[in-house]
Amino acid sequence: MEISDETGPAVHQEDPFEKEIRVVFQDTLGLIHIALVAHYGLEETEATELEKDLYVWFVRFCMRPGNRSPKEARPFLLVACCQFAREYQRYIVGTGMRETNDKVKRLLDREPADVARDFSKSLELLNYRQHSDA
Amino acid sequence: MPDTGRLLSFPSKACRVVLKPAEALELAEDFLAVPPQGRSDEQRSEAFSNPDVLLALLGSLERMRDTSPRVVFQEASTIYEWLKHAAPVGVFDERDYFVGQSAYLAGSTARLLGFTEEASRWLDRAESHFRHVLNPAPSMANVAYARLSLAFQAGRHMELLELMPSIRLSFERLGMGEETAKCLLLEAMTLKKLGKAPEALSLLDPIQASSVLSASLKGRILSEVGDLHQLEDRFEEAMSAYQLALESFETVEVSPGRADLKAFVGEAYRIRGKSDFALQAIRAAVADYLELGLENRVAYLRMYIADILLSLDRPREAEWEILAALPTIEEQKMVPEGFAAVALLKESVRRRKTDPNALRELREHLQASK
Repeated sequence: MEISDETGPAVHQEDPFEKEIRVVFQDTLGLIHIALVAHYGLEETEATELEKDLYVWFVRFCMRPGNRSPKEARPFLLVACCQFAREYQRYIVGTGMRETNDKVKRLLDREPADVARDFSKSLELLNYRQHSDA
Repeated sequence: MPDTGRLLSFPSKACRVVLKPAEALELAEDFLAVPPQGRSDEQRSEAFSNPDVLLALLGSLERMRDTSPRVVFQEASTIYEWLKHAAPVGVFDERDYFVGQSAYLAGSTARLLGFTEEASRWLDRAESHFRHVLNPAPSMANVAYARLSLAFQAGRHMELLELMPSIRLSFERLGMGEETAKCLLLEAMTLKKLGKAPEALSLLDPIQASSVLSASLKGRILSEVGDLHQLEDRFEEAMSAYQLALESFETVEVSPGRADLKAFVGEAYRIRGKSDFALQAIRAAVADYLELGLENRVAYLRMYIADILLSLDRPREAEWEILAALPTIEEQKMVPEGFAAVALLKESVRRRKTDPNALRELREHLQASK
């Protein structure tokens, strides 16, 4: 998925809070993509489109009163990612457009919040590695 | 900014351009600038079916809550009704968030306007939707706070003191500083009602100079500090806190907090026997409450004015104030336990011999439920 980093006038005028949201999303995008494609079994193009929806949702989610910084909202982003993926995949499977394997079936049976928690651990590990490499 | 996604809202989804927050806010403000009766269904549909505009609209209404409660109540309940009957708006948990937030705004403004039963119903509705959003904690804590404000209005002070620390802790954990301070203020107001002014002051002392609070909340806290000093017979300290409160309110439009301050000043003057100054200040408070549409508070203060006028031997003017206040007191069931006092007072006014005891009794009932 491309979240534009082009240097057009719109990007120059970006509000600092919106920029923070974009950066947090971009930093989490790798993990999101892995979750969607490798775990939930979505096709690349489907994952890319779902990521766009997820970004649009995340921007508005961070703007709800009482929600903390975008960085602290990241765990909710992962839950939303798993929920999005599950609903989509269930719909696709339910309409008979796609067969699914046992691994995906098991994942679809799990609560998105639990799956997201596992992904969060991966994120922590990733952050730890990045920091220890730096 | 990416193009909008196309996969959610299965099986089909209307494509829509995603707006930047500033653009959405501009559209929301344009929408609110048109009086509700002048809006077409198409305009309403265009605004309410766009999640970006809707989010901005609800944000604007939240900011207007104290200064225009009647407008916010009308707008929020209209949004709620529309969303309940329209096709789902937004993605994922957004419909529940929007419906819940509009119900919450309707509930919290209904409370300000004195419609307590209605407020409680709106808060039930808000809660039933917030339960389904991701990260419901901030919204649920706001609803819990609004419920305790209702408990305060109903005089259920012990219930409030028991439950408020838990809600305050939730706000603290969520990093919601303004809401944490509001909890302390409500706790202090409750302690004041229970005759515990020193304890109330000790809650407010640490936060009254806080620089992170909005001007309006700071003004409200300082007004309360002034009233607490006044109750402890420290007139000078009271007046100096009122002065600071006034300075805080300078940047704020007419608001319940500023009107409360005028009423507090009036009460301080009255206690010191300066009835003319007291009348002037309280009438100024009445004018503010009228502008805000807070008829319950207008009625409460009219009774206070009547009491002062009776003490000044001006019974005819007192009668006018009572006659102006009674319909609201009865309509809004402001004193469910003071039915006899209302009847006695009404009868005495009808005979043009206002009964000061009935008036005092009614005022006590009103004060308990204020």
